Amino acid sequence: MPDSMFLTFVLALPFAGCLVAGFLPANTRNVEAWLAGAVALAGLILAGALYPAVTGGAMIRTEVEWLPALGLNLTLRMDGFAWMFTVLITGIGLLVTLYARYYMSPEDPVTRFFSYLLGFMGSMLGIVLSGNLIQLVFFWELTSIFSFLLIGYWHHSAKARDGARMALTVTASGGLCLLVGVLIVGHIVGSYDLDRVLVSGNQIRSHDLYLPALLLILLGALTKSAQFPFHFWLPQAMAAPTPVSAYLHSATMVKAGVFLLVRLWPAMGGTDAWFWIVGTAGLITFALGAYLAIFQQDLKGVLANSTISHLGLITLLIGLDSPLGIVAAIFHMMNHATFKASLFMAAGIIDHETGTRDIRRLSGLYRLMPITATLAMVAAAAMAGVPLLNGFLSKEMFFAETVAEHVDSILDDALPYVVTLAAMFSVTYSLRFIHGVFFGPPPTDLPRQPPPLPSWMVVPVALLVSACLLVGIFPAATAGPFLDTAVRAVLGSDVPPYSLKVWHGITVPLLMSLAALTGGVLLYRALRGYLSSGAEGSPGLGRLDSQRIFDWSMVFLSWRAAKTGVDLLGTRRLQPQIRLVVGAAFVAALWTLYRHGPHNGLHYGLHAGHAESSAFDPVLALVLVWLAGVWLAGAACAVGAAYQAKYHRLAALILMGGAGLAVCITFAWYSAPDLALTQLLVEIVTTVLILLGLRWLPKRFETIDVENYRVATSWFRRGGDLAIAAAAGLGLSAVAYAVMTRSAPDSISRFFLERAYTEGGGTNVVNVILVDFRGFDTLGEITVLGAVALTVYALLRRFRPAPDSIERPEQQIRESERDDALPDGQSGVALADSLLVPGLIMRLLYPVIMTVAVYLFMRGHDLPGGGFVAGLTMSVAFILQYMAGGTRWVEARLTILPVRWIALGLLFAAFTGIGSWLYGYPFLTSYFRYEDLPLIGTVPLASAVVFDLGVFTLVVGATVLILIALAHQSIRTHRPAKADVPAPIAAPAPALAQAEGQ
Amino acid sequence: MTLPAMLPALPEIFLAVFGMALMMLGVFSPEKRAFKTVCTFSIAALLATLVLVLANPGGRGVAFNGLFIVDGFALYMKVLVLIGSVVTLLMSERFLRHEGMDRFEYPVLIVFATLGMMMMLSANDLIALYLGLELQSLSLYVVAAFQRDSLRSTEAGLKYFVLGALSSGLLLYGCSMIYGYAGTTEFASIARVVSAGALPAGLVIGLVFLITGLAFKVSAVPFHMWTPDVYEGAPTPVTAFFSVAPKIAAIGLFLRVMVGPFDGMIAEWRQVIVFISVLSMVLGAFAAINQTNIKRLMAYSSIGHVGYALMGLAAGGRSGVTAVLVYMTIYLFMNIGTFACILSMRRQGSMVEGIDDFAGLGKTNPKMAMAMLIFMFSLAGIPPLGGFFGKLYVFMAAIQAGLVTLAIIGVVASVVGAFYYLRIVKLMYFDDAAEPFDTPIGKGVGAVLAVTAVITLLFFVGLSPVVEVADAAAASLLQN
Repeated sequence: MPDSMFLTFVLALPFAGCLVAGFLPANTRNVEAWLAGAVALAGLILAGALYPAVTGGAMIRTEVEWLPALGLNLTLRMDGFAWMFTVLITGIGLLVTLYARYYMSPEDPVTRFFSYLLGFMGSMLGIVLSGNLIQLVFFWELTSIFSFLLIGYWHHSAKARDGARMALTVTASGGLCLLVGVLIVGHIVGSYDLDRVLVSGNQIRSHDLYLPALLLILLGALTKSAQFPFHFWLPQAMAAPTPVSAYLHSATMVKAGVFLLVRLWPAMGGTDAWFWIVGTAGLITFALGAYLAIFQQDLKGVLANSTISHLGLITLLIGLDSPLGIVAAIFHMMNHATFKASLFMAAGIIDHETGTRDIRRLSGLYRLMPITATLAMVAAAAMAGVPLLNGFLSKEMFFAETVAEHVDSILDDALPYVVTLAAMFSVTYSLRFIHGVFFGPPPTDLPRQPPPLPSWMVVPVALLVSACLLVGIFPAATAGPFLDTAVRAVLGSDVPPYSLKVWHGITVPLLMSLAALTGGVLLYRALRGYLSSGAEGSPGLGRLDSQRIFDWSMVFLSWRAAKTGVDLLGTRRLQPQIRLVVGAAFVAALWTLYRHGPHNGLHYGLHAGHAESSAFDPVLALVLVWLAGVWLAGAACAVGAAYQAKYHRLAALILMGGAGLAVCITFAWYSAPDLALTQLLVEIVTTVLILLGLRWLPKRFETIDVENYRVATSWFRRGGDLAIAAAAGLGLSAVAYAVMTRSAPDSISRFFLERAYTEGGGTNVVNVILVDFRGFDTLGEITVLGAVALTVYALLRRFRPAPDSIERPEQQIRESERDDALPDGQSGVALADSLLVPGLIMRLLYPVIMTVAVYLFMRGHDLPGGGFVAGLTMSVAFILQYMAGGTRWVEARLTILPVRWIALGLLFAAFTGIGSWLYGYPFLTSYFRYEDLPLIGTVPLASAVVFDLGVFTLVVGATVLILIALAHQSIRTHRPAKADVPAPIAAPAPALAQAEGQ
Repeated sequence: MTLPAMLPALPEIFLAVFGMALMMLGVFSPEKRAFKTVCTFSIAALLATLVLVLANPGGRGVAFNGLFIVDGFALYMKVLVLIGSVVTLLMSERFLRHEGMDRFEYPVLIVFATLGMMMMLSANDLIALYLGLELQSLSLYVVAAFQRDSLRSTEAGLKYFVLGALSSGLLLYGCSMIYGYAGTTEFASIARVVSAGALPAGLVIGLVFLITGLAFKVSAVPFHMWTPDVYEGAPTPVTAFFSVAPKIAAIGLFLRVMVGPFDGMIAEWRQVIVFISVLSMVLGAFAAINQTNIKRLMAYSSIGHVGYALMGLAAGGRSGVTAVLVYMTIYLFMNIGTFACILSMRRQGSMVEGIDDFAGLGKTNPKMAMAMLIFMFSLAGIPPLGGFFGKLYVFMAAIQAGLVTLAIIGVVASVVGAFYYLRIVKLMYFDDAAEPFDTPIGKGVGAVLAVTAVITLLFFVGLSPVVEVADAAAASLLQN
């Protein structure tokens, strides 16, 4: 298949060239140019060789497997229409290369230039040769990138940078819209293959998603072709080197938009939406571009706006939705490419020679450069639509099409008049281009004297202009067959009859042409005075500038909107962040519930389950009322704690204790005395520990800013917190209620209840679970507890309290002041004695509590109690001593080695487990029996008791270690701060020594 | 529990044991060499785990009585996570030494976080899910605050911890609701309850809270506020880590939960996901625009990218899951690459983080600028770079699922997003050169930079096999 191979080469060569060119040394201007030229020429020759295969509606297709899973293959497809574009891209590419070789100055880094140019050529070929829509979008975006790089080529100029950015922003955004549009089309058709899409026109047009798809695709096409209201980027892109403007912004890239419109017309055209959107955009652009072009002072500005206008003309033709319109559109694409490219090159020559492109400074250049002037004049005449030039022919077809009836509407009726007016404008600006630059007095203030013109620079212009002439005079013989091939590829078999003749007789279109020509000349005469006055910009439209709107919206988006968004949704403060997380979760839950309410088959399970109703029992009722009171009190405590958390930590902590107490009572009532006991002790120990820690926290995070302190705001915030807390509490209560009143899901509690005694040898199920059934878990838990204690200790070891905590507590200070006021000799007495009675009681309680702990431990296997509870009780004994006597007093008398307790506990537990291995049982299997001990009575002796002993020891060790860590803060900080405190004890207490030494 | 029955969890068990051994190694090594030794061994351990994961014969396997599942999906995501962790460690070593943070706990914590992520990805039960999630989170809280002398870093760690704990609470609340109303924590059994019809409201509430917790972990709007602060405050290698591995793992977990047990409730949760996806994309795009700190910018960028991934999740089904997998794959490489650039931003030995510091990089360090250009274009989703394909698949899946509006919002957001990525490109190439960055940037970072740049640039070459594997992984997830 040589054809498909040729096709692959056409696409692959430019990219290969792009890579090669990029790696060539910087000063190889000629090699670069030869390379680029050779690539373009090769493409042109290959295209020529492929021509026979695409005539008469035939096409070449070749597929390279890429993503078979998704039906994404690299499909190359060349029909007559694509062939025409291939020739335009490679042909004009060749001429532009030749031109650029002489245009670019030796200082410019041409490596980059030719590399980008070839890359662009490849991407553009990719667009026209794509047989797959996704692939088309891919190359589409690639052209945007290369165009960005080429426009910004002279990146030292601010204009080039801005222009490049704007072009990229507009066209790449359009490309993304196109992507989604194409995805929708693919979704409708079920394939992204272009051939499949093209035959599925009816399916697409009747689909619900047709309009979104159409709008998105049009956004892509219209941005690329610089159609109103996206036309503003093209004049800005003129900051690019002139060869780039000639190539990208007249002949090829901007044509991609209209190319796509024609390509997809069979699939998506033929609807009112198409007519209105495409037609209106085209008409406005045609007229607006022509109008703006008249008033430009920059040569390239004139050409840029004229390009916009001509693209509008093509868009309008496509929008008219008739086969003849398509024919005219395709014909005009060819013609426009030739004359506009030559005009850009001519403008480039003028710039190159004189150093300026300002029409106000240029005049009489005919004398200096007669050949260029002649060529430019012919090309400009073609642009104006003067007979015997190619522009005239397609303009005639265009006029004929506007006169014909389409969709019956105001737009259709007004069309002939508006286009004649716009054509008149184009005559005016063409005339201005010719007259203003080449005629008149010799130029006086040129930035530089024209150097000799390299004759190779004129050759491309001459070639293009002769094409204009040839097509203009012998249309049927020169362009005819190619146009026919292209048209047939788009329209298939139903190509309407059209004739490519110069003379059709006196017809309405001819009259319109004449009117435009005459009107244009008259308008130019009328405007000459105004134009030479040197005003910038066009009258009447100064304010309504879409570029300004673009800039403004960019600033708005990038600054104000963004800032507002961040301010609204982003904050660096933690509390609002927490509030937002909780609030959002809450709202989401409510919203989902609301949306999928009962009407959607969702049943609310928050009713009271199916608990069997029992007879009314007055005692039970009384207890329940009482319990309800406890719960209310507990809830009030919890709310109060939340409310006070920020303002009065002590109160909050005490209230927390109240809430915990309510929980304990509830446990006790619901036949879980063991849990209640444990919970109670945990409450006590944690509260005491936190109380001790509280002493060392700074009193305030920051001082209140009294001046800006607003009570209302503060109340509002606290109210909000209260609401959140209440909502969270209610939510949890609701869950608890709902779950408790339903039958429990197949729970394992029955298993434990049944086997606690038979297999674990105990009747206290909770304890049996802890030390036997789930012994392994407990081992893990106590390990964690030990680790936590060590961590707390390690963290507090080097903790230095905030300065305001180093002071003695306020109460003590006040007390000492009162003491000082007493008669001599009594100073300090009151303070020392203030805890005399409670202290004594606490000391006396020490052995009592220990006994209780042992008792709790021993009965744990069968009755509420156990190692954990006993351990906590034991630590309460220690805590009381610390509270009553102070750190020094306790440690001078008691040797506690908490780290050893922890280690010992862990060893006990682990060895019990390992012990069962010795008897061939799995880890932690327990053995039990009852023993009669003298004096004490029957005592359960299970191996689990040893395990429980480990738990006990560890809990004591861990709690005491944390306690010591906290208690030592007082020693550390009072020492430097207070001179009147008794001197440190001579020999540090052993516990202290051990703790400090680690 | 016999050994062969635990075989599916072999990589995790290996990593856990090795991680603990590493900790001992660190404690008992001489202090000067500890960091380097542990770092090297951690990388080796993670690589070995990667080999173990890849050596899995494929097919489904469960361990621990069905709490732990291994399937194609888990394997795919684990490979991504492990790559992320290994590369982060590679990049961190030099940086931490420069900043005087070279303590051996860092690599150990990364190893444990990775272990947590692997367990998340293999979770087949709400309890297992929570276990993995917390192991990961707790390790991350610590590494976020690893620069203990820096106020920003400690603040970041604390903030992350407080909010993370809160979100874990919400997640647990959701889990208990689900357990209460479905009567089980096992994914397969939940799926049976869900498909039985007549959903209890409690289950829906539970699911919403579960989503809330997961959304926090992936930092989707409106649960994103921690992200910019933590990204900015944490030491840069940690930020790099945050932006890839945990994110990928959390997205994987999100998929596993939503497409697994709750697939039958898609009507209930799709709206929520669509909503947070839209918010994430839009906020990620807009809020990034006027950032001045590159790490903060990347935080918003990652929020936006999560929005796109969630778009794939909202689409659901095989194509949706495939899209997310492809998206996360390319996201991994381009994000790591970007952070490799950020890690190389040093002037006279100290770190700079301003976006303006990129000015003129095209002149002062053309290679790095070229790599950064590739990453920025890819993050913006411009073809032919990898990021484009990620977006392409996500958009395709969304449109297939009929979520056209979502796709369009996605496009608009990526247009806005392109703006700030291109701003960096503009700074690098068009603005006057600032003082050059220190060179050399170090072998590790340099290699990462080069490799990720090449992968991002040439992603389309290997796209086909990646998509095939991702598709198979998605199919394996849907089978469960």
